[in-house]
Amino acid sequence: MVTSAPILMDTLPKPAVRPPTAVAPAAATFSVPNVPADTTLIDIEQVDFFYGATQALADINLKIDDKKVTAFIGPSGCGKSTLLRCLNRMNDLIDGTRVAKGTIKIRGVNIYQPDVDVIELRKRVGMVFQKSNPFPKSIYENITYGLRLQGRTNKADLDAIVEKSLRGAALWDEVKDRLNTSGLGLSGGQQQRLCIARAIAVEPEVILMDEPCSALDPVATAKVEELIQSLREKFTIVIVTHNMQQAARCSDRTAFFYMGRLIEYADTRNIFTNPANPQTEAYVSGRFG
Amino acid sequence: MSDSTATVAAPAAFAVSKKRLRLLGLTLDDAIKAFFGGNALVSVVVLALITIFLFREGFGFFAQNRQNLRIYRQAGLEYVDFIRAQTDDHTALTRYLSDLRVRQIAFLQQEKKLSLADANAALAAFDAFADQFGSAIDPLRAIVSDLTEQATAIKTKFIVAGDKEEERRQLLAVGKTAEAAAVKIDAVNFSAELKPLLETRTAYLAANRELAQKLAAALDAAPKMPAPEIEARLDRFKDLSRTYIAGFPAIEKNLMTWDYTKPVPAAQSFTAFVFGREWLTASFWQDWYGVIPLLVGSVLVSFVALLIAVPFGVGAAVYVNQIASATEQKFIKPCIEFISAIPSVVLGFFGIAILGQTLRAVSQQSWLSWVPGFPYSERLNVLTAGCLLALLAVPTIFTLAEDALNNVPRAFKEASFALGASRLQTIVKIIVPASLSGIISAVLLGLGRVIGETMVVLLCAGNRIAIPDFSAGLGVITQPVHTMTGIIAQEMGEVVRGSIHYRALFVVGLLLFFLSLLINYAAQGIVRRYRISIG
Ligand SMILES: Nc1ncnc2c1ncn2[C@@H]1O[C@H](COP(=O)(O)OP(=O)(O)OP(=O)(O)O)[C@@H](O)[C@H]1O
Ligand SMILES: [Mg+2]
Repeated sequence: MVTSAPILMDTLPKPAVRPPTAVAPAAATFSVPNVPADTTLIDIEQVDFFYGATQALADINLKIDDKKVTAFIGPSGCGKSTLLRCLNRMNDLIDGTRVAKGTIKIRGVNIYQPDVDVIELRKRVGMVFQKSNPFPKSIYENITYGLRLQGRTNKADLDAIVEKSLRGAALWDEVKDRLNTSGLGLSGGQQQRLCIARAIAVEPEVILMDEPCSALDPVATAKVEELIQSLREKFTIVIVTHNMQQAARCSDRTAFFYMGRLIEYADTRNIFTNPANPQTEAYVSGRFG
Repeated sequence: MSDSTATVAAPAAFAVSKKRLRLLGLTLDDAIKAFFGGNALVSVVVLALITIFLFREGFGFFAQNRQNLRIYRQAGLEYVDFIRAQTDDHTALTRYLSDLRVRQIAFLQQEKKLSLADANAALAAFDAFADQFGSAIDPLRAIVSDLTEQATAIKTKFIVAGDKEEERRQLLAVGKTAEAAAVKIDAVNFSAELKPLLETRTAYLAANRELAQKLAAALDAAPKMPAPEIEARLDRFKDLSRTYIAGFPAIEKNLMTWDYTKPVPAAQSFTAFVFGREWLTASFWQDWYGVIPLLVGSVLVSFVALLIAVPFGVGAAVYVNQIASATEQKFIKPCIEFISAIPSVVLGFFGIAILGQTLRAVSQQSWLSWVPGFPYSERLNVLTAGCLLALLAVPTIFTLAEDALNNVPRAFKEASFALGASRLQTIVKIIVPASLSGIISAVLLGLGRVIGETMVVLLCAGNRIAIPDFSAGLGVITQPVHTMTGIIAQEMGEVVRGSIHYRALFVVGLLLFFLSLLINYAAQGIVRRYRISIG
């Protein structure tokens, strides 16, 4: 139904100023299954998820770190997208879906609580889809769409944010002279970066990316990967990918799923060089999946 | 086949040539092609035949109408109508006077508390004035009525001569030369026939001068009105009358310079149809085939129908496509689509028996009197027909608009939700704009459905052939009208094949055909653009 003026999700605390990390992350040499609480942004506990009668996720436990890139990998149909879409409740759009058990907390707030404003949640947790999906509107309108939804109309502000977002998405130089042309007129790679710009324009805390490069050529993929590297400073990124190299290159931590279960979750480097689980080993080395 | 075997054995023949099975010299492929191609061809040919037939039957109209207009001039009917128009204008002025009288009576009774008898008595001076004004026209009326008889007689002579000529032509055609020679034709000598008609000019001029004087005198002696508001109306009346009198010299000039030999331009037979404000057939005086009243009727009815059907059709489509649950969808869609299964004659019957009655009763509720056009007494009118046509248009609009909404990629919707849009915002800002051209073409096809509908308008639009009174503002929709489709259905059965009336109906059909073609073309063009925009 219609949700008018957004009720602030006041129960969701604003991001705290990040405490200086005691240990330099790169210095970590072994996997820490349970990272310290202050760096955890999203805490998934014992989640079971159903599409109608089909169970897609079983007993998922996962803590996603703040300002890190977390990759979800696993064979097709293992539930990566499902879990990702649980994080901004996009699954609510599908009839008959439910989180049957467990909690998903962002900064300690259970986002499946009945009093959570889903609209506000989605402003905080942005999403980039597998197939680029700019609106059939101009580039400028695509980026300001989310801002206008929030009632922001000041032209100067919007202009500034458009530029900032496009620069952030490494697209500014390519499109600055054609902001008023249709977003559908861009190339596939540009469209995907436009979608990323659109997502960061509303300044979310988390950006969910579901196979963002699967429809792109290697050059465009490299650009998006570079972009992910630059975005990690400001955003927490969760990315689903089928590309092992991509996961290895871009992410700090990697979760391996198989048939709806989380098999292994560790620092990316460990997953790829020294996996604890033989299934993980088989998958990352390309022997199945 | 692996590389190693290929190097050892010679490759098998590259057997890709077709095995053809022939039937009557045709392969199966050819037969299939011929079957489908034939079907397509038949529909194209049928369309072409219909178009040719319409054109062939319709185009004769313009020549006949020109002849019709020519005889109107040659027999002096045009001449008489100049004077008749003058008397008609006078009649309109006297009607204004009656209205003034009604207002005075009402004022005297309500404000001055006079009884009806006293009020009537108080208006003696006014009645005398009105009488003087009204009777001044009598001499002119007498002239018009004389002239009408004369002109009709000339026209009749001409028609008789025409019939005789036709008779002779037919006799000759079957080879009966003797009988043909025996048919006596009195050729009409217009110049001689019109002489007496034109000789009344002097009498007319005298009568006209006298009329002008009498009217002016009557106006100068007009009594005072009991209230300033009514006085203002009288002033308005005086202005109107003076303008009327000031127009006399122009009429006189028209009559003096009138010339029966002046040719009727070919284009006039066309403009008289397209811009003609009167559709008058089987009249003893002059037939007019002006399409404007019918066109206006069709457009008005369709407009009202769309005004009602668009919000319902599009709204239902948005609801079913974007909001309804699966069970609701399963219920609503067939229900709306079922409406189109109702035969339109049944709808028309329903309109006459129930809807017209109910709407009229509603219009007569005193608390609704602020609605323009309410209350009204004509049960069958634009509104009644429009409501029923809306019902016919809703399924078309609904189905096509729902299709258009369905074609909006789901990705747009997800992207919008992921940016924190509510359902309403997503519908209004993304879904509807993305499918707008599809929705517009749905509405256009709904219009096509409505404008071509016959039964409902024939039964429910009231069938009054006149341009409705637009001075009533929006209330115009409570007046009865006739439509292009309705007139064809109603009159086609009783016209003589090949007559001008018959052909006029065909031209109306042609116009309808072109309108529908145009609407369909526009709708298709919009859909084509829409496909591109989604990419
Ligand atoms: N809308 C849906 N309705 C019912 N079942 C679904 C739906 N979407 C996904 N599933 C099922 O849930 C399971 C997990 O699907 P999901 O899309 O999360 O897999 P995935 O890991 O993202 O796969 P891929 O790598 O192919 O994208 C699959 O078995 C799938 O068939
Ligand atoms: Mg997926």
